[in-house]
Amino acid sequence: MEGNGGEGSNELFNITLRPFGLSDIDDFMVWGTDEKVARFCTWEPYASKEEGLNYIKHTIIPHPWFRAICLDGRPIGAILVTPGNDRCRAEIGYVLGSKYWGKGIAARAVKLVANIIFKEWKHLERLEAYVDVDNAGSMRVMEKAGFQREGVLRKYFILKGRTRDMVIFSLLSTEFPS
Amino acid sequence: MEINLSSITLRPFRLSDAEDLMSYAGDEQVTRNLRWKTMTTKDEAVTFLKDVCIPHPWRRSICIEDRSIGFISVFPWSGDDSHKADIGYAIAPKYWGQGITTEAIKTAVPQVFKDFPHLLRLQAFAYSENKASQRVLEKAGFQREGLLRKYGYIKGEIIDLVVYSFLSTD
Repeated sequence: MEGNGGEGSNELFNITLRPFGLSDIDDFMVWGTDEKVARFCTWEPYASKEEGLNYIKHTIIPHPWFRAICLDGRPIGAILVTPGNDRCRAEIGYVLGSKYWGKGIAARAVKLVANIIFKEWKHLERLEAYVDVDNAGSMRVMEKAGFQREGVLRKYFILKGRTRDMVIFSLLSTEFPS
Repeated sequence: MEINLSSITLRPFRLSDAEDLMSYAGDEQVTRNLRWKTMTTKDEAVTFLKDVCIPHPWRRSICIEDRSIGFISVFPWSGDDSHKADIGYAIAPKYWGQGITTEAIKTAVPQVFKDFPHLLRLQAFAYSENKASQRVLEKAGFQREGLLRKYGYIKGEIIDLVVYSFLSTD
């Protein structure tokens, strides 16, 4: 059984992954309207259920690999894997409702995904992530999930009109499970 | 053969460069580190010039006395990533080791930032074993950012690549 889900606590969380559906809109809107969550995302907090439904319909559902991070079966965040331009690499991204931050949940979800995706995509050898230099929480997720920090890519990304330096992390199929 | 570095020039490609193109595009030593297929006939070279090099957003022939001895290519990204571009280059082996590529890159970089006014980041990827190519970038003022493990899949092989960048503000 998955062990300690907390950071220094003995709480055990029942974390599972599943595809999204339109009926998840209310749960989605919990993190989708949260400014703290949206801070390092490309999107602004969603202002209406309609906007949220459009996002689920036009971005989440057609995506090659997009899952809800569920706690006791209810979505509390999302995790996705996007194939790279070379088949050996893919990019992982994740988002979690802010009241669940700091408990090791996102790192658990990342490890679950790594376990699945290296088996599902036979040619995949490198899972990578790009983390904003100021996103300390996400960097901790990467470290807890066993990713290796490779360097800082200067002015790699434009986030809401501003250029950002991004730290690049990777996990190789040969390093997993650790 | 010692080359006077100030005689190195850059210009767009012409169909008449076909034979000179073969001197590097037809050489496995060169194409091994590129995504280019090794060329075997002059016809292939002509087609490549016509279909790829000449219409390219930014590809220049590195020339000595107006003869092509290599190339520099810049590929801008599109959409939300259009502030970035990738630079690639190669020269014929007989000109290796003389600082020619470094000189050509140093000449090209300001031209690229001028030709692409929205460009903020010029990046290059060198094979981890290609120390000569890494030295070119370092001498040309690029900053080494990290080793990307198993990043590229080129000609059937998975390879580690070192990423470098030159910013418009550098």
